[in-house]
Amino acid sequence: MPIFALQRSYKYMMYATKQPSLRINQADLKCKNGCGYYGNADWDGYCSKCYRNHMDQERQRKARQSHSDQTKVSGFSKFEEKKRQQTDKKNKYLKSLPVFRKTSSAKDSGRPERHLDLRQANPDADKLTAEFISLYGVWGEQVRRDFFKCVQSFTTKIYSELENKPIEDIAEMAQKYYNLYSNRVNNTETYQEVTTDVRDELLDFFEKYVMVSLYSWLFCPPSTNDEEKDLIIQERIRKLSWVNAHHLDCCISETSIEVRDLVYTAITHLLGMDSMKAPQDKLSCVVSCCQSVVKVLQHCQGGPVSADEFLPALIFIVLKANPARLKSNILYVTRFCNDSRLMQGEAGYYFTNLCCAVSFIENLTAESLNMPQQEFEAYMNGEITSVSAWESALVACEGMHQLCEHLSLLKDLSIRTNTVQDETKKLTDDILKFKEEMNEKVNSVLERTPLIIKPRKTPELSEKVDDTQNSQNFYLQNLQIATSNIDDAKTKLQLDITPCVSKTSPTDDHSLSKINYDIDFSDLSGESSLAELTPEKRKSPSFTPDPFSPVGSSCPITQAPLIPTKPDDFVLPFVETQETLLEKEDEGPNLPSPIKPMTAQYSGFSKQGWQIPSIPCITGELGANASQANSQTSQDKEN
Amino acid sequence: MKTIVGKVVVLGHQGVGKTSTVIRYVENSFSQHITPTVGASFFSCKLLIDDITVKLQIWDTAGQERFKAMAPMFYRNANAALIVFDITLRQSFESMQGWVFELKQNVDNPMVLCVVGNKSDLAKNRQVNRDEAIQYAKSIGATYHECSAMHDQGVGLVFDDVARGLIRLLGNSSDHNLKVYDSENIDNIMANSSELEATDTGKEETVNLSINSIAHGNTVKKCC
Repeated sequence: MPIFALQRSYKYMMYATKQPSLRINQADLKCKNGCGYYGNADWDGYCSKCYRNHMDQERQRKARQSHSDQTKVSGFSKFEEKKRQQTDKKNKYLKSLPVFRKTSSAKDSGRPERHLDLRQANPDADKLTAEFISLYGVWGEQVRRDFFKCVQSFTTKIYSELENKPIEDIAEMAQKYYNLYSNRVNNTETYQEVTTDVRDELLDFFEKYVMVSLYSWLFCPPSTNDEEKDLIIQERIRKLSWVNAHHLDCCISETSIEVRDLVYTAITHLLGMDSMKAPQDKLSCVVSCCQSVVKVLQHCQGGPVSADEFLPALIFIVLKANPARLKSNILYVTRFCNDSRLMQGEAGYYFTNLCCAVSFIENLTAESLNMPQQEFEAYMNGEITSVSAWESALVACEGMHQLCEHLSLLKDLSIRTNTVQDETKKLTDDILKFKEEMNEKVNSVLERTPLIIKPRKTPELSEKVDDTQNSQNFYLQNLQIATSNIDDAKTKLQLDITPCVSKTSPTDDHSLSKINYDIDFSDLSGESSLAELTPEKRKSPSFTPDPFSPVGSSCPITQAPLIPTKPDDFVLPFVETQETLLEKEDEGPNLPSPIKPMTAQYSGFSKQGWQIPSIPCITGELGANASQANSQTSQDKEN
Repeated sequence: MKTIVGKVVVLGHQGVGKTSTVIRYVENSFSQHITPTVGASFFSCKLLIDDITVKLQIWDTAGQERFKAMAPMFYRNANAALIVFDITLRQSFESMQGWVFELKQNVDNPMVLCVVGNKSDLAKNRQVNRDEAIQYAKSIGATYHECSAMHDQGVGLVFDDVARGLIRLLGNSSDHNLKVYDSENIDNIMANSSELEATDTGKEETVNLSINSIAHGNTVKKCC
């Protein structure tokens, strides 16, 4: 039987590398029985055939012995343990507990209930049934019936043999059934109408269905020591946690973020293998893991990936992933995945690589890491507790990650700062230009329309002086408010953009001057008596036109006169004016209150108010009213 | 029309250009519909020789000394082996002989062997005599080719030869494990199907039995 030979050679290959040495003596590989076939460490050095004979003999011997004396023999403890596990399992399904090997009659009686249980215990199988109907229902009732008939016979047969035969024989049976079903699909009339592609799918689905149904019995069966092997390899990988990419001569750069993400993807896929039930799904997990590894390598070195680099990388991934029940999974796939898939194709290739990786890890020596024996042992004993490369790499990666995030943030910030600076510069330029233009205009206007001071009556003059003082105060007041506003703005700016403060502050000064200009112009353009007062202002020694020109408008000038003038110059003139204006009862409430001048001060703005969008409408209106009132008063005064 | 699926394993010392040779070939022949697996170390390609489609599944292997012990896993069930060495490196030729020795020991099925001397473009630095290589190839029953993966000389010939070798293998020996899909092979299938029928009846019995058993089990349950 070719399948048998195949199976045998495959099994041999799987474990042929138990010896760490590179050259394996041929004599060591042969079956202990001397039958000429290769032996296997897992089978006590026998080949599969001799091992089975050997085990049968053992079993018979044990059965005889347990017949003869019911008491436990200490040497049998392991055997007993396995037996107990099996019987425990049986206990769940069978009320009667057979102490010894079951007779054929016992098997027959046990079958129905087990079969029943098989159907009940698998919600997954129900799901798959539904899936089958939705996928392949179109191919007719006959196909469906035949499919389930075959599934039924397969599961029943396997299940009934589960306790009597070693798992290897069961696997062989499964492979035989796969072949039988494949032939059936390809050569029976029932499947005549089914297209070739769908036939292949059907075969896959058959495998999936039966394996999912039998998963709990076939995966890591209690009759084997798969579980022990899992624990051994897990412990081994844990001990080898110090191995890093450098030891394996593989070019995975552990610190790169993209690589780290890809490595995580690969590890996730590999870990996902354990959660799958059908062998083909487990295989596809392996394939996607390996494809991620290929991506990692492509990212690290560029260009095509050769096996020389791929295998070490895969070993690295397996070491870092330390997947649960690794050995059980590999054995399960080896046993129950359809050989035709496992032997060839991409899946077969990658699975072989995984087996290689596991085998390498099992047999890893100082030599295979190009490391002195002593150093290796020191690592293994934990004498050298190297900084776990992977973890430190993770920490480094975390740091790098943060660094990168910060860098991008800084980049963004610097771009923003640059734009702010550019804008500020532009604004400064604009302001300077505006200033010059304004200067020119003012000068031209002044030249064009020289101000002529009309002679006035003496009593009015004193009033006028007061008025000028008032108006000056108003301006000063204005200025002060403006500066305070600017100060507010400054502090706000400081909060927002620190580096720009130095740049923005001069612009504020200019904006201040701008306000002054407005005031100035309102006065000039205004036909009210206030306008006529400006030349006097210019005359006055304390006030040069400078405060209104942008250059001269520095803080000391605006602030210095204000503080002393406030109590004396501010209120007093009004007291004086009050005397004159008391005659006008209408104007009375407007002027005397010291707070009101605030509205009066807007008189300057009011006429230009419509040109300045920044001033709220309401204040503008108020100002307009006040200015009207003011102009009225001045007119009255003139009168 | 026949279709043969053959597994080709590529062996050789590290750095002799195993992967380059394979990639050169795959890129040349199939640049129109390059498979997504290109870039990996597994390739699949089709050749048409004398009305027979030969599907090659090329398995690249790791050539490092430390992975040598794993090689048997790769060449199990292989139908052909490309054993590559570097003609400018004597050591690679000698280590190749080790590969072949182990290959011969571990594989029972007949196999197409093909010895390939790579880097023929660097012939002036040659360390391995051509005649010596040919003689060695003959001694192990292999064909010998020299090629340059870098300059794309003679790479196609190597794989052509492998494909022809597989067809010969199919004709000559019976215990090859090549996968063959064709119409001529119908006798074989018939034999298989008759076997299926034989077991099928057995299966039928099992099914019947189990169905009866279910009924039985149900009644028992009802009783309880």
